[in-house]
Order: sequence, then structure tokens, then C-alpha cells
Amino acid sequence: MSDMPLIRLTEVTKTYHLESGDFTALDHVSLDIAENEFVAIMGPSGSGKSTMMNQLGILDVPTSGELYIAGENVAKMSSLERTHMRRDIIGYVFQKFYLIPLLSAYENVEYPLILKYKKRDTTGRAADYLRAVGIDPDMGAHRPNQLSGGQQQRVAIARALVNDPKILLCDEPTGNLDSKTGLQIMEILCDLHRKGKTVIIVTHDPHIGEYAQRTIRLADGRVVAS
Amino acid sequence: MRDIFFDLSVRSVRLNFLRSLLASIGIVIGVVAISSMGMLGTNMQLSVKDQLSANVNTVMLTSDVVKMSTGLGAAPSSNTIDTSTLNDIKGSAGQNDVVTIHHTSTQFSVGDQNGRGSIYGLDPSDVPKFLTIAEGSNIRGSDALVGATIASNFNLVPGSTIKIGQNCATISRPVVRVAGILAARGIAADGVNVDNGIVVDDTWYTDHFGELDQYDQVNVIVQDVDTINQTEAAINAKVNRNSDVVRISDASSRLSTITSTLGTITTFIMAIGGISLVVAAVSIFNVMMMSVKERVQEIGILLSIGTEKGEVRRMFLYEALILGLIGAVVGGIMSFVIGYSVVNAMIGTTQYFFQPASLIYIPYGMVIGVVVCVASGMYPAWAASNMDPIDALRSE
Ligand SMILES: Nc1ncnc2c1ncn2[C@@H]1O[C@H](COP(=O)(O)OP(=O)(O)O)[C@@H](O)[C@H]1O
Ligand SMILES: [Mg+2]
Repeated sequence: MSDMPLIRLTEVTKTYHLESGDFTALDHVSLDIAENEFVAIMGPSGSGKSTMMNQLGILDVPTSGELYIAGENVAKMSSLERTHMRRDIIGYVFQKFYLIPLLSAYENVEYPLILKYKKRDTTGRAADYLRAVGIDPDMGAHRPNQLSGGQQQRVAIARALVNDPKILLCDEPTGNLDSKTGLQIMEILCDLHRKGKTVIIVTHDPHIGEYAQRTIRLADGRVVAS
Repeated sequence: MRDIFFDLSVRSVRLNFLRSLLASIGIVIGVVAISSMGMLGTNMQLSVKDQLSANVNTVMLTSDVVKMSTGLGAAPSSNTIDTSTLNDIKGSAGQNDVVTIHHTSTQFSVGDQNGRGSIYGLDPSDVPKFLTIAEGSNIRGSDALVGATIASNFNLVPGSTIKIGQNCATISRPVVRVAGILAARGIAADGVNVDNGIVVDDTWYTDHFGELDQYDQVNVIVQDVDTINQTEAAINAKVNRNSDVVRISDASSRLSTITSTLGTITTFIMAIGGISLVVAAVSIFNVMMMSVKERVQEIGILLSIGTEKGEVRRMFLYEALILGLIGAVVGGIMSFVIGYSVVNAMIGTTQYFFQPASLIYIPYGMVIGVVVCVASGMYPAWAASNMDPIDALRSE
């Protein structure tokens, strides 16, 4: 097990059962991602990028093949164990930010700490992470709908980081931002990579892709370059 | 520290305040219906019990013999207790008072006003043992005591006269003079319902209605109510030793029959009130499903970043609980006001309203309201927690 990388996919296949027949969104994908890599997943629309991210984020399990995250076989875990993996070792950054609308910016960052420790945060960690992504503590009381897109994405990154995950998964993190704000977000992600995080990002944008050390190209559910 | 899932529920209820309020109205109505019906029934029971329990120390004895007429065409005589049976009763009743009672139904006239009521023949010395003379004095000779209802209907006062018997031009009727007026008894548990009756001296009764030494009813008034069962057993062993001669009953068994009947009625009307809670449950269920449907994407976010299913369930159950508590508190306050008015209007007194047995129906109704609410939220909460996070996130 000692030579097991942080993420390993062996012949991972994901098939959707549709009325029109089965549709294979991921087709026997095998690859390893090591700790502290910065990976960009690229490919045309419908090539299976999001499907791949759902697998890496333990939101779904392979139809066949094996997926190991941090040494654990995802398919063999219980639903509750997968929930705890998502909470503790993965941080998610979404294209549409997906902050919890009824919680303030500060509470959104505090939320994963509450999930993990089952109590409100008294360590000041949530505030520290907000400051680290460039959100003024005064903004902490604002609800997500009172923040700009860039601010929301910063809060989302703080939320993704607060439980100190090993892996940061970002599905088109700049897709809903103007190019200047998008580049600021990319600077934050690069900085996190420098500090030791494993960053995996899905993007269409070749400029964004250039930030990554490694590019995995998908087409029709297959890896065409990695 | 407050639970964040509770905060989320409170905020969700606040965000949809009007909708939540409307859903709670169903619970309010249900709680009010259950509580005030329960209180009404209990107040009814308490007031009946109070009226009856004055005479629970009385054993009532009536004839249990079916007397067949021997001669052809002879009218069957009514069943009575004869002297030898009476002596057996007296012999087995110990120190307790034995009261012999004659009664029948009769017409009477006061001036030119005709009426109908019961007439009782009692030994004057027995009267104070179980009747209260509210006004005037006890009977002597051809005196009579009249019940409260008759007295007020015919404006009788001590000194008034009553003609007893059917109004008939050819026969002159016996006249009694009102010596006193009896206190109202309500439904008398000892079988002597004098409110609409006239009490005369037993000798006068047998002179005019016959049945000398033949008693319609014999009451044994026990000194210690705890010995009533022993007394009944002693009388039964003696009097009914060969065959069933007298039927023995007492107010306590009648009282329990009546109160248990009233209890059944109370449960029944509460169940009718409970139907409104079924309607409330449907509306809570509907509002909770709407809440779940509107928040699908939020549920997707919560689940995808590592919220346990149980925590999502808890969030929605809190929401149902909040709706239930709002409904229960408002319903509880309204039950108090409405229950008080209903009891006052239907029973005519609120003297029993503040007794624990009556007021308990308010918390009782409130708890049922909350439980119904949370139960209605169970399926929506379950549905929310079992969503697929990917599908939920994708929904708009
Ligand atoms: N839940 C689903 N049911 C059926 N088909 C799906 C589902 N999710 C994705 N697909 C299909 O799988 C293919 C890959 O989708 P996706 O991974 O979202 O592509 P990308 O993110 O690269 O655009 C698409 O053709 C899409 O229609
Ligand atoms: Mg996609």
C-alpha cells in the first residue's frame, strides 16, 4: 500500500442507463494522481470531465473498475464513510460557487468545521481562512446574494479549505467570473498548490489550463493524453 | 451553542413566514378542537359527578320478582317489597338507616293550573335523612313538601294548596297543604327524583294510593361509605338466599356507569376534533414538501460537502417542529379562551374549568399538535436526506 498514490483509477467506467440505451460517460479510465500535483482536466463539452470530477469527489461510485482515494477503495465504503471522506479530505470549488444561501459568508466557512467537530467554531479558524482568501471580516456577516461573483468564489475556496483537505477539486472555478477576477482566483489556487495541496481543476480555457503542471485530456469518456 | 441546523430551519421558516403561518393555522385549529372538546367533556363529567356523589352512600333496593296475575283479565300488580322482606333488610342492614319509599306518578292541580309529577310517600322522620328543606318545615298529616322545579313552575310557597289526582268534575280531589319546599337535587343518585315531585306522609299516601305494607323502593343509607359493599353483601345473603327477591344497586355503580359513558362521549368528540388535525397534517406535509422541493439545490450543496443524511433530516424535522410549536402555543392560548367560553355556554358554570383534570387537555392538545406536525415532516425530511447529491446540485 505504501506505493499507492493519493488517487488511483483502474479501468474506471461510468455507465448511465438511459431509455435510449446505456451511455458510457467514462470508458475504462486508468490513471494515478500523486500528492501535491496540479492537474487540469480538459476536453470538449460532454467528454466526461464532470463525471470524472464526481468520481474523484466521491459523489458517485464507478459502475466498474476501481477507484482509490487516499488508499481507500471508494466502492467498498459505506455511504456514511463516503460522507466523512468528502467532509475531511476533499475541498470542492464549483463553477456556480454553491454557497449555502441561508448562511452568512462567515457561517458558510464555519459550516464544514461544525460538520466535523459537531459544534460551533471557537478557534477563529473560519475568520482566518476568510482573511486568507482576501475577504474582509466585515464582509463575513453578508449573505451570499449580497456578494459579487469573485467574492463568493473566494468564500467558497475558504469553505473548501477550512477542514485542511488533501485534495482541492475545482470544476470550472473561473467559468462564471470575468477574466480579471478569474486570474485572481487562479493565483489563489496556485498559491495553495505551492503550500502542498493537490489541486485538480476542470477548464475549457487554455490560459487557465496553463497554470497546471499536468493536463489530462478527455474525449468521449476516454483519456487521450495525460 | 445553538445547533446550526436549527438556525437554518428558523431562517427557512422566516423566509417563508406567511406560508409557514398558514400551515400552522391547521395545527392551531386542531389543538383548539381537541383541547376544548376534552375540557368540555371533563367539565361535564365533573359537574355530573358532583351532583351524584352526594348520595353515593345509598343502597337502592327494588323488587326483583315478576308477579304474574292469577285471575283472568286481572291487571298485573306492580312489583313491591313486602313487610317480611323489609324485616329481612332491616335485620341485615345493621346500624344503617333503612328508608321505605312509595312512589307513583300523578296529576295534580294548583288553582286552575294542571300538572303531572311524581308523588312520594315517606315517613316524615326519614325526610331529613336525605332531603334538604330549603324553605318552610317538615310534613305532618296532610302536608306536602314540593320539589324545586314544581315550586317555581307553579309559584308555590309554604301554605299553598295542591289538589292531587286527575281533574274530574264529579269527584272531589284530596287536597294537601305545602309545608315546605325542597332544595334542588338534580339527578338524584338514590332514585328519589323530587325536583319535579311532591312528598307526602306515608300514611296519607297509602290512604289515597293503597299499597299499605308494599314498598316500591327501600333505601339503606350507610353511615360509612366504605362499608357499602359489605352491607350490600349482607342484605343479598339474607334477602336473596332462596331466589332473587330484591335487586340491589347503589349510586357508586351508577355513578361509574354514567361517568364512563360521559368519558366515552368525551373521547368521541375529541376524536372528531382530531379529524381537524388530519387536515392539519396534510397541510404541514404539503408545506414541508414545498420546502424540500424549493431547496433541492441547497440540499445538494449540503450533501456534497459532507453533511450526513441524519443532519439533513434533522434540519427538516426542526422545521416541522417549529411549525408545530408555533401552532401549539397559539392553539394552547386560544384553547384556554375558547374552552372557557364553550364550557361556560354549554355547562353553565366554570367552577370545574380550572381543575387539573380539565386544564390538562391544553398541554395534551398541544403535545398532540406538535407530534402530528413532526410526524408529517418525517417523510419530507427522509426524502430530502436521501437525494442524490449530484442530481440535487444540478437542479435549478
Ligand atoms: N446523470 C446523467 N444521466 C445521463 N447522462 C449523463 C448524466 N450525467 C452526464 N451524462 C452524460 O455524460 C456525458 C458526459 O457528461 P459530463 O461529464 O457532464 O461532461 P462535461 O462535464 O465534460 O461536459 C454527457 O454526454 C452527458 O450527457
Ligand atoms: Mg461539465
